Amino acid sequence: MGMPLSINGSSLTIQDVVDVARNGRTVCLDSDARSKMEESYAWVQKACLQDQPVYGVNTGFGSLARVKIDPANSAKLSLNLIRSHAAGVGPLLPVPETRAMMLLRANALAKGASGCRPLLVDTLLQMLEKGVTPLVPQQGSCGSSGDLAPLAHLGLVLAEGDHGRVTFQGEVMSASEGMRQAGIPRLQMEAKDGLAITNGAQLTTAIGSLALYDAISLVEAAELAAAMSIEALRGASRAFVAGVHALRPHPGAIATAGNLRSLLAGSELIDSMPEKLQDAYSLRCTPQVLGACRDAISYAISQVSIELNAATDNPLILLEEEGENKAFSAGMFHGEPVGIPMDVLKIAISEVANLAERRLYRLTTGSLSQRLPPALASKDRPELGMMVPQTTAAALVSENKALGWPASMDSIPTCEDQEDHVAMSTTAARRAARVLENARRVIAIELQGAVRALEFRKMETPNIRLGAGTAEGLTRAGEVLHSLGEGTTPSDEIEALTEWVRSGAHRSLVSGLEAVS
Amino acid sequence: MSIALNGQTLSTSDLHAIAHGESVVLSDAARAQMRANFESMPEGPSILEEKRHWLVGGFASELTADELCRTFILGHCAGVGELLPDEMVRATMAARVNVLATATTGCRPEAADVLIAMLNQGVTPRVPSQGSVGAAGDLAPLAHIARVACGYTDRPAGLPDYRPNPKEALALINGISMTAALGAVAVTRIERILDCSIAACAMTMEAMGADAGCIDDRLLQARKHPGGIEIGERLRIWLEGSAQVVPNQGANAFSIRAAPAVMGTLVEELCCTRTILERELNGSGDNPLLIDGEWIEGGNFHGAPVAQALDSLKIALTQLATVSERRTFRLTYGQLSKGLPSFLVRGTGLNSGFMLTQYTAASLASECKGLAHPAAVDTIPTVQHHEDHVSMGPIAARMLLEITECVADIVGIELLLAAQALDLRMRGIGFDAAGEFMEVDCVTPAPRIAAAHAVVRQHIDYWEDDGVLHPALAAAGKLVRTGEILSENGPW
Repeated sequence: MGMPLSINGSSLTIQDVVDVARNGRTVCLDSDARSKMEESYAWVQKACLQDQPVYGVNTGFGSLARVKIDPANSAKLSLNLIRSHAAGVGPLLPVPETRAMMLLRANALAKGASGCRPLLVDTLLQMLEKGVTPLVPQQGSCGSSGDLAPLAHLGLVLAEGDHGRVTFQGEVMSASEGMRQAGIPRLQMEAKDGLAITNGAQLTTAIGSLALYDAISLVEAAELAAAMSIEALRGASRAFVAGVHALRPHPGAIATAGNLRSLLAGSELIDSMPEKLQDAYSLRCTPQVLGACRDAISYAISQVSIELNAATDNPLILLEEEGENKAFSAGMFHGEPVGIPMDVLKIAISEVANLAERRLYRLTTGSLSQRLPPALASKDRPELGMMVPQTTAAALVSENKALGWPASMDSIPTCEDQEDHVAMSTTAARRAARVLENARRVIAIELQGAVRALEFRKMETPNIRLGAGTAEGLTRAGEVLHSLGEGTTPSDEIEALTEWVRSGAHRSLVSGLEAVS
Repeated sequence: MSIALNGQTLSTSDLHAIAHGESVVLSDAARAQMRANFESMPEGPSILEEKRHWLVGGFASELTADELCRTFILGHCAGVGELLPDEMVRATMAARVNVLATATTGCRPEAADVLIAMLNQGVTPRVPSQGSVGAAGDLAPLAHIARVACGYTDRPAGLPDYRPNPKEALALINGISMTAALGAVAVTRIERILDCSIAACAMTMEAMGADAGCIDDRLLQARKHPGGIEIGERLRIWLEGSAQVVPNQGANAFSIRAAPAVMGTLVEELCCTRTILERELNGSGDNPLLIDGEWIEGGNFHGAPVAQALDSLKIALTQLATVSERRTFRLTYGQLSKGLPSFLVRGTGLNSGFMLTQYTAASLASECKGLAHPAAVDTIPTVQHHEDHVSMGPIAARMLLEITECVADIVGIELLLAAQALDLRMRGIGFDAAGEFMEVDCVTPAPRIAAAHAVVRQHIDYWEDDGVLHPALAAAGKLVRTGEILSENGPW
């Protein structure tokens, strides 16, 4: 696809991550970044021969920083780090998340502050291009000092030796075989390579980047579904008037209200019950709730966007600083700046789904739906309609509450008390992705209900005009359902609409969050 | 030998065996009782037929009983998400058969027979794991099973040509059989994890030269908690003949000293949960019931009793996770491990040894804390105000299974480290307060500990130097899951 993406450690966006991780865009290293990397690499090469202790270059790791390492063993130290840190367990990461992690690590190194060779980045980028994907177990990272175990599993593939596994062209094989078939030479580890590969919260941020991209799309789908439900329930538009929201100017609410207005513009169903002064909260408060979710997502995007372009390892090499010792030991690997946003994202996405579930309840409950058929069951054929899918939605939103427990609130001391506060950010990000998956299905179920509901309204009043956006939403989502044919179950319908939302086909109907690129 | 389903004696371990392929048979007595129960049905429409207007509105009068059943089952196929593993679907089917075998649901034996044929012929429906709120039962998942049983979808040849009557269509899905089945498989797995964790704890105590006071029977009896007493007894059996774990060594840290209290809590919780599950597995989880020739409507499908038990078990299991993780921390901590090297390898510095295993254990323990969030505290009104309080039991069950996986790996890590620590002692490798190597007397472990250690060494090598940790962790997790460390070798 198109032009290769050039990385330099300071301009990577969430959109870029999606392009590379999911869509196979190729990547190259910017030439200025390459020279900057060379300079810091040269300094490390020099430093490891001198007496001055530099963490992880001529010392042990973690609490073992107290142990001095013979410079002759610097390379062995790096290789040992990779091998002994490959301590992941559990199911494997999906390929896109793994690719995103590789890209993020390459970009962090391209910053030129990690003291490693450009060849390391070149190798990662070649693996991305040829489709050599390391097998990385999902579990086992505390997110500090970075996603050590998952990144070490990547390191096992980079570093020459009888270790590591990959998928290549659809087959699982040893790293040596996969890299050989792809024609990519593996690396002899050198001083500090081990740290440069493993030190940083790239898995957290990789999962987070893809989740945020999907979260934006999900909120837009939720706004479309909300507008369709509000219309089918013959809602009142006064709650969405711009002047109202200007008086409590949360940017997310202003955006959501604006989207609802344009989606519903021209609808003859809206405001068709003048006797009804105001709607239930799940309709009337849609801008407040979805708006708050938008604001929370914006916060998470801003945090992740910073992290995407950060140097995250330890120590960092700052050649501009005064003094002999250019290596600065700090805590840049700590996952907290991404962990907290990921926990916030879980709450926001849970709320998107909670609100949708309540609108769905109204749509399917005869006494609350302004005379829609009970359970939105068809009048053409015998069926239970949406009775059970609403229960499915309730199960999904309840599961999100269990997954919503904030992982970053926890910490367990590790490494002989040297690493006595950890982020648990990886767990936060993994849970956020699951919450999102559940929420996507809830929105799909609301769309399933809203399509039925609007089709009833059109049957009641054949020539009634729907909103500018909702009419198009009805057409497109309706096509997804009607193309399924005979003999489909509610489950089939939900999964089809889930894939429709996942594809982002709804996005042109709703105006998006600008912060993404 | 097939397991006989009779509505009375199905145990959690039976269900685990069925999950892993054991065949089943409906007991003759249950068959006869089901027939008699069916024949005691009063004249008049069944409950599903009474509700047909509510269910299918304008079509109520046109629909045959057969069409009503089909509409009802297919309309409940609203599950989503990842598929349940095959063994869980099998356990769910067997659990549902056993409810029918209570002979209180008004069903003919044919309804049980079709599910039994599916189990014995290895026909396992594809059942999405999400979508049930656990009241009025696990409707969606059971409907995905019933769809195959009733022949409403393509299915392999050779199954009975079964068509349900309206009460059977209801009875096939109206109970929490999936929740109970998942819980039962989890209980069996957790029993094995507990057994392995006692072995791992004993090995840690041996390697650390722990004080024996904390497992003195007199001490534990004095507090009266049967779980603590049992853990003490089982640790003493493992440590019989130990020259290391003896009295007057100085008080242990809590992760060892209070192991009987913490791990004993799981013993008691397991016992309680198993009892509740076995009641449910052998109870009439359906609605309405046909008793004394009379239909009685109630809420026997509600998952609350099981949801509560599974949530409690999640907490107790998480305590096992956190206490094992702390022992792992001590084993890797040079200053706390009584002369063992930091991270349990010589030449530490160039080697990080087992440093990362404790991170992995900590990460998994933290995951358990989140997954232990009680599902049953939530409820969401469903189905047009009718089902206005639900159990969320299936969520509790699925999260319990996830915690179970995490804890199997955590206990595997303790076992791996305890074996390594013991090796160092057996080789006379010691370290002084400054972390400098010194030769010390070689230790001979207690016989049962030595035997368990030998099993570990059949699969995982002693480390002199850094290696790749992942294969060792995977092997250790497998030792726990298969129970091989206990000289068992059963499916997980």
